[in-house]
Amino acid sequence: MVNLALENVGSEILIALKRTKNFDELKTALVKKINMIDDFRLGNEVIIDIGDYQLTGKQTRDLEDLLLDYGFHLKEIICTGGMMDQENLTPADDTPDEAFAIMPEYENTVMLCRHLRSGQKVFVEGNIVILGDINPGAEVIAGGNILVMGSIKGMAHAGAFGDENALIAAYRLKPTQLRIASHITRPPDGEVIDIERPELARIKAGKVVIEKLKI
Amino acid sequence: MKSKVLVITSGKGGVGKTTTTANLGTALAMLDKSVVMVDTDIGLRNLDVVLGLENRIVFDIVDVVNGSCKLRQALIKDKRIESLFLLPAAQTKDKNAVTPHQMKNLTNELRKEFDFILVDCPAGIEQGFRNAIAGADSAIVVATPEISSVRDADRIIGLLEAAGLYDTRLIVNRLRSRMVKNGDMLDVDDIIDILSINLLGVVPEDESIVISTNRGEPAVMETSSKAGAAYKKIARRLNGEEVPLFTLEDERILDKFRRLLKIAR
Repeated sequence: MVNLALENVGSEILIALKRTKNFDELKTALVKKINMIDDFRLGNEVIIDIGDYQLTGKQTRDLEDLLLDYGFHLKEIICTGGMMDQENLTPADDTPDEAFAIMPEYENTVMLCRHLRSGQKVFVEGNIVILGDINPGAEVIAGGNILVMGSIKGMAHAGAFGDENALIAAYRLKPTQLRIASHITRPPDGEVIDIERPELARIKAGKVVIEKLKI
Repeated sequence: MKSKVLVITSGKGGVGKTTTTANLGTALAMLDKSVVMVDTDIGLRNLDVVLGLENRIVFDIVDVVNGSCKLRQALIKDKRIESLFLLPAAQTKDKNAVTPHQMKNLTNELRKEFDFILVDCPAGIEQGFRNAIAGADSAIVVATPEISSVRDADRIIGLLEAAGLYDTRLIVNRLRSRMVKNGDMLDVDDIIDILSINLLGVVPEDESIVISTNRGEPAVMETSSKAGAAYKKIARRLNGEEVPLFTLEDERILDKFRRLLKIAR
């Protein structure tokens, strides 16, 4: 049974492929979906929701290649499945050597409900959501994205393992320094810009850009 | 010119070690010397903030001594003066992240490149202090005209001597001449009497220091700042020039008057 939902999220296309039994079935379903997409949307970014299925690193790359063949870019793969079955947690076709390869990207998101003060440092392998501020002198480093429901006044590093698609979003973005993957930026000297609205930082054309957070 | 490693210390906190380091470093660089300021206050770093260089920090002193980066990568060039550099402290580690031996190697490495190496010492007499003085040739003790500060300065001078640093000079910071005149504050001579070390300079209390610190611009960059002028004089003295101690002279003249008055009575 394959759920054939297809959604548009802004310029991105969300493809839901929930409840697939194996990788071949997932691929077939994906091709079916891609054929349903209008031609004028070619070149857009695609987010694939694979429900509670788990992909190996190689399988992720396969999906990426498959999408490229049809002229789409893979943005990310998300898992919105409910509780995982025990058998799904241990894919049968993987040897123990690939223990790290089967870990889906940013599978885990950490939520932190406190202020981070000077000298405090938080590192997570996946995403991090902070309900509080990051004060000057504090550091947040994440392998995935960083979302702060408060002010970033210290240093935030998203995509610490080199993912240039990682985002940093904050209710108020006034950092001493922002880092995404291997890019480092800081606010310009002598300029005091007070923007009283949520903002988003990401890499566009090789540069870290800050834009209004559209919700 | 042989490079000098000077540690700026005090024992007591809040007397102006960091402000002194920032201003002397900047003033020396303004005299066309190549200067590096090393912040050894790991975990409570401030020197970068006072200099307005906080947002440029990528690597720090702990990364350098651990070998995580090259020394050159961690040095931050000042945004105003070409020949001024900062080696920032780490904020998310503690004082034990560096050993005195590593500090010694680090300062020796810096000697190759710079005329002056100013080491900003943390308050206290523990590991941080021992790290800061490890590679130093001589020390500058900062004291305010308060009995607690002078007491701590005395303890620090003793510890410096125990560590083999005998060429210790004193900066009296935040002196309020009016209070000294009224006899409400320790005067410079009293402090020298107690500490019996050479005086390097006297810096008057100056509200503009608060403003320049908050702005991240050292007071020596401001032509109107009284404290800034005093720091410039101290820098010239460190550079080997003979600069009269104006404030001290003034006080001496005043003393002579007082003595004369006493005799007249």
